[in-house]
Amino acid sequence: MTSLASTRDDTAFLDDEGPRSRLARLAQLQALQILLVLALIVLIFAVLRPDTFLTPFNIRGTVVNTSILAVLGVGMTFVIITGGIDLSVGSVLVFSGVIASKVMGAMGGDGWGTAIVGILVACLCGLGWGLINGLLIAKARVPPLIVTLGTLGMALGFSQIITGGIDLREAPDVLVNTVGFGNIVGQIPVLSTIALVVVVLGAIVLHRTKFGLYTFAVGSNAEAGRRVGVRVDLHLIKVYALAGLVAGFAGILNLSFFQSTTISGQSNTNLNVIAGVVIGGTSLFGGVGTIFGTVVGLFIPSVLQNGFVILGVQSFWQQVVVGAVLIAAVYVDQARRAAALRGSSLQFPFLSRFGSGPRKVNR
Amino acid sequence: MTLLRATGLVKQYGHVRALNGADFDVAAGEVVALIGDNGAGKSTLVRMLSGSEVPDSGEILLDDQRVRLDTPSVARSLGIETVFQDLALAPHLDPVQNMYLGREIMRPGLMGRLGFMDTKAMRVGSRSAFDKLGATVGNLSGAVGSMSGGQKQGVAVARAAAWVSKVIFLDEPTAALGVRQTRNVLDLIRRVADDGIGVVFISHSMPHVMEVADRIQVMRQGRRVTTYAAKETNMEQLVAAMTGAFTDEEVAK
Amino acid sequence: MNRNGAIIAGLLTLALAATGCGSSNPPSSGPSSGPLKLAFVQGVIGDAFYVTMQCGIEEEAAKLGATVSTNGPQKFDPSLQTPVLQSVIASQPNAILIAPTDVSAMQQPIQQAVQQNIKVVLVDTTLKDPSVAASAIASDNLGGGKAAFDAIQQLAPNGGKVLVVSVQPGISTTDDRAKGFQDAVKANPAYQDLGVQYSNNDPQKAAQIVSAALQANPDIVGIFATNLFSAEGSATGLRQSGRQGVVKIVGFDAGPDQVKALQDGTVQALVAQQPALIGRDGVTQAVAALKGQPVTKSIGTGFTVLTQANLNTPEGQAAVYKTAC
Repeated sequence: MTSLASTRDDTAFLDDEGPRSRLARLAQLQALQILLVLALIVLIFAVLRPDTFLTPFNIRGTVVNTSILAVLGVGMTFVIITGGIDLSVGSVLVFSGVIASKVMGAMGGDGWGTAIVGILVACLCGLGWGLINGLLIAKARVPPLIVTLGTLGMALGFSQIITGGIDLREAPDVLVNTVGFGNIVGQIPVLSTIALVVVVLGAIVLHRTKFGLYTFAVGSNAEAGRRVGVRVDLHLIKVYALAGLVAGFAGILNLSFFQSTTISGQSNTNLNVIAGVVIGGTSLFGGVGTIFGTVVGLFIPSVLQNGFVILGVQSFWQQVVVGAVLIAAVYVDQARRAAALRGSSLQFPFLSRFGSGPRKVNR
Repeated sequence: MTLLRATGLVKQYGHVRALNGADFDVAAGEVVALIGDNGAGKSTLVRMLSGSEVPDSGEILLDDQRVRLDTPSVARSLGIETVFQDLALAPHLDPVQNMYLGREIMRPGLMGRLGFMDTKAMRVGSRSAFDKLGATVGNLSGAVGSMSGGQKQGVAVARAAAWVSKVIFLDEPTAALGVRQTRNVLDLIRRVADDGIGVVFISHSMPHVMEVADRIQVMRQGRRVTTYAAKETNMEQLVAAMTGAFTDEEVAK
Repeated sequence: MNRNGAIIAGLLTLALAATGCGSSNPPSSGPSSGPLKLAFVQGVIGDAFYVTMQCGIEEEAAKLGATVSTNGPQKFDPSLQTPVLQSVIASQPNAILIAPTDVSAMQQPIQQAVQQNIKVVLVDTTLKDPSVAASAIASDNLGGGKAAFDAIQQLAPNGGKVLVVSVQPGISTTDDRAKGFQDAVKANPAYQDLGVQYSNNDPQKAAQIVSAALQANPDIVGIFATNLFSAEGSATGLRQSGRQGVVKIVGFDAGPDQVKALQDGTVQALVAQQPALIGRDGVTQAVAALKGQPVTKSIGTGFTVLTQANLNTPEGQAAVYKTAC
């Protein structure tokens, strides 16, 4: 029935390992490897400081400090998978917090009515900036780096104009008490639980829905998508809008947690999120990535900073190490990706035990 | 019997007249080779007939009905599929995802509206499409980008063949392939035509053309110069037609 | 969800749950023997003011036989200081000296330190509710404003109009400096108070303010700039109006840029805080608190007025902020 040619090129295996493409499995492999790297870092610090590093207090603190970054990372992962980038997330976070704080302050009150309005306002602000990004990128065809660099400046500038440069602090008590200080059960922080929900939702959308599939498709070959009827421009707008929405939500979380709009503290947030996403295995060239890889990738700089402070290492070294890890992660990822696309064996064959390829029929 | 007929197509790009009153026709179950020298207008003609571009003037008839192929989506909805030279595959996606790209099967009900796809059904559908065509595309879960040229071609052609209902266009389908892969593609072309589809392929390779085509249409300087039944012609005649040895047009039978 | 994804999801949830379990009993306060462990959390790293404070802290700690670790955020912002503080708390020092970057945002994290049986001393900046700390030590900014006026009196003894160029309303330190200055002006009939203008920490805005003020009042004799950028911009404004040297500027803080401006004659006097003293006092109070001895809840430190004349004396050099210990 089938011409099962048995040359090296037309190898006749048709086995069915499941719906994941090989590169998607590769991305999962990268996420697992990065998890091992994180585990290694944790192990090293734990051995050096057994009494202070792995305490519940410290674990909780690190998780809490990475929560808002994780929320931002969800949106950024989608954007980078399309082959784009979003530098404006930190400024959009600030802007959304500023507007929400103004609105909630004007409404007065400390209850959930005000809080919900604030949350909606923050999300809408983020969505607005995301739409601006998306329209300029998809329709006006301005490169994402330039567009989001521009909106970075504009959003932050508007925030400073509106506030006169001084942080706003209006947040209703319910938000501060639940999101800021609240715990769900025992010591599990509300903030981190919310972040986990966002992360899980993001993962489901990216890896299980058509929206996620189109995100990969656009990043892989946008022209091919257009030819088969995918509305690429519309999809790009949606992806940037999503990133903006997520940044707006992060803005209200940030306001609730710090009771301040933290205007001057977000200038490196965009690069920190991008670094985490890339360390976690998402390629800057688009087409591949995972949400869980992003989360793990974001934990690495957090844990490094935390560990170095506990060790008493000068804080400037933290930046050096994080920068080195970033470069190393991208280098390894690119090398493996190139090998995979060539169809040749992986650079680290012992890792193929984790399920990197099908068994081949005898030649 | 004639599925698709085009008459008097004209297309001008600036000063260049790519199509100068070109004609074309293909019947159901027929394999037509479209040949001509560089710049003869073959690719432009295919672009017109696949909906990628709109002709400046001329008429296109599908099943004897006038149609306007304004976009590729319109052409596809009318049953016309095209495989261009770049194959239009997303390298990071697997053959199943590429097969159904833009036409995914959604889960029924609420799950479908939320965006959840029926991956099992799509896998089954892809497998049967590839099997039917004897396309050896390798692992259904592997990324298309890591496949050989022949396997990629197989995916692209199988995709078009799976969705086509009237006419399929292939632009240089064997250009970058080795001997065995070319064999597979030519077999695939025959099989598609045997299903009652009109198959049109552009090629520079005379041997392949002679081997698989039922009819050969020669283009030169933006128009159809002549058309031959494959059995009744030979390479010398075709080359002569391509390079302008005949000054009169010979209308197809 | 596929296998790897499930593993990772499981691990993340486990990490989250790990935050919840474990005793909430704080560790007992530090090692029972051995030197006392102190930690200093700066307002921002790389700032001469906090470096000088660090030097004072390390000096005093060495005398008392305690160790010091210093950390701080990249920018003066609570969102960056909080992770640093949390890591410092996790390293279980006996006491923390901290310059909070926000009066309310840092309240809860600092309270967490106290809950972990760590003594906290606030240095330079304070909290909404400073009572959680054992002690709070800061420059008496009102006194600093007065010291600035004294400097103007020295520089322009014949009286006249004076202007304050401040940063923004709402910053307690600069507001206090401006108030201290204005109170002193009002108390002296020879001088006229032209009020306070705000530069928003932008030198260009400060320059515009000064140029405009000189247009309106050509006979201004002195300007008090409550921080570095305000002083820089004011000097530019004077230069643009050709009044440099004629109108006297008194600036605040004695970091390397300010001292250079003093040497160049851009400003005529600097009101230097005493960050090393703040640091030394901080250590003294922290150790006293740890040993159960009486503490002073609130200490206000003084100022040194630097001019070109006294800059190169031993006292003058001691007052200049250091960039390394």
